[in-house]
Amino acid sequence: MLSKLFAAAAIAIAAITLTAGFTQQAALVLRQENQDNYWPRYDTQSSGTYRSGVWVSSPLRSSYGSFRGGGPGAGK
Amino acid sequence: MYAQPQPQTTGRYIDLFPYIPWLLTGGMVFALIFGALWERTMVSTNLLVNPDTAAELKPIQLKKEPIGALRIDVNASISYNQWVTYEIQVKDQQGKVLASGIKQAWAESGTWVEEGESGTWAENDLMGGLDVRANQSEPVIIAIDVLEYSDTAGKEIDKPVSFQVIVKNGVVDDRYLWTGLFGTLLLSVLALFTVSSTGKVVINKSNPDSDVVARAICGNKDRLIRVVVKVQSDEYSPSSLHIRLTVNDANGEQLYSQTHLVNVKRSKSDGKVTSGSSALTTFFVLEPRGSYGFHAEVTPDASVDRTRIIVRENARTLFPVKVVTLKSSDAQ
Repeated sequence: MLSKLFAAAAIAIAAITLTAGFTQQAALVLRQENQDNYWPRYDTQSSGTYRSGVWVSSPLRSSYGSFRGGGPGAGK
Repeated sequence: MYAQPQPQTTGRYIDLFPYIPWLLTGGMVFALIFGALWERTMVSTNLLVNPDTAAELKPIQLKKEPIGALRIDVNASISYNQWVTYEIQVKDQQGKVLASGIKQAWAESGTWVEEGESGTWAENDLMGGLDVRANQSEPVIIAIDVLEYSDTAGKEIDKPVSFQVIVKNGVVDDRYLWTGLFGTLLLSVLALFTVSSTGKVVINKSNPDSDVVARAICGNKDRLIRVVVKVQSDEYSPSSLHIRLTVNDANGEQLYSQTHLVNVKRSKSDGKVTSGSSALTTFFVLEPRGSYGFHAEVTPDASVDRTRIIVRENARTLFPVKVVTLKSSDAQ
């Protein structure tokens, strides 16, 4: 029966979206290298990546005038 | 003369599966409301930021939470025809950036002239947002840094920019929930439409006349038979038609014969009827399994172009329906 298939699909969609929404899969996770799930809000792009647990500015960020460098060893 | 079998209303053939997506759709609405009630506003303030000097909020405690994340929403206030690129930063107590996001915000306005008409337009995209989740609880400092502030010509503006900053905790990502809501709603509607076509089609016969006759092996105890008669009629369609439906058993003995009045749905063009369509749906339980003949006859027949009969076995319904149980005399 097709209605069984639709019911199963609806259960799957609800389970996936509820889990992703309530556990905030789209958020930036502090100190985690893999940010594949990051989903920008209001077109706000993350401006760095983690390397060995340290936030390193991305080339996008470095292109702005006020950039003073960052990452491991910065400020030494 | 035989006794005309009486239809009985029954809910035993109801398919409950189409109701599951509806329940889930309701659940998604509830989740959206619950999610909105769960979040707590921690900071709501205005921040004046000088270009190239990050302005900081007071430190807040970022906790590892099972539900939601820390949400930073920022809205820049600038005049029209200005661009501002700002960065939302999350720093640790030593001032080291833990995470950051860049927003290229703008506000533009102008005039338009088209085919002798003219007017003004104004558009902007000033909101920025960063959702942050922590694997451990720690105090963090939220800062806004203006990276570039200029007019549309690219000339730098050396003035502070005002930002409205709202920080909330335990925020649930409703983009997923809306996706889930529309997904389950779509499946709910689809599931409703599938019910009328559930079951095996044993007869699907069309005749370009006012009557149609067909025979098939079908029926058994607890098997619902859905009989649909569809009538196409021409521009002289009356507002209603009579459809006489007859069911015969293997010996040609008449088990059921009933005339039903159906409304004709008339298509109109420029106020004139162009064609008509009508449909009759009836439910039977035929015992025992065997060869059964179906005959549909439409009166008055003058306007009838085509008559179609579709018989489905093992049918399901959404609501309780009237079912006629017919027992063939040569059962035993």
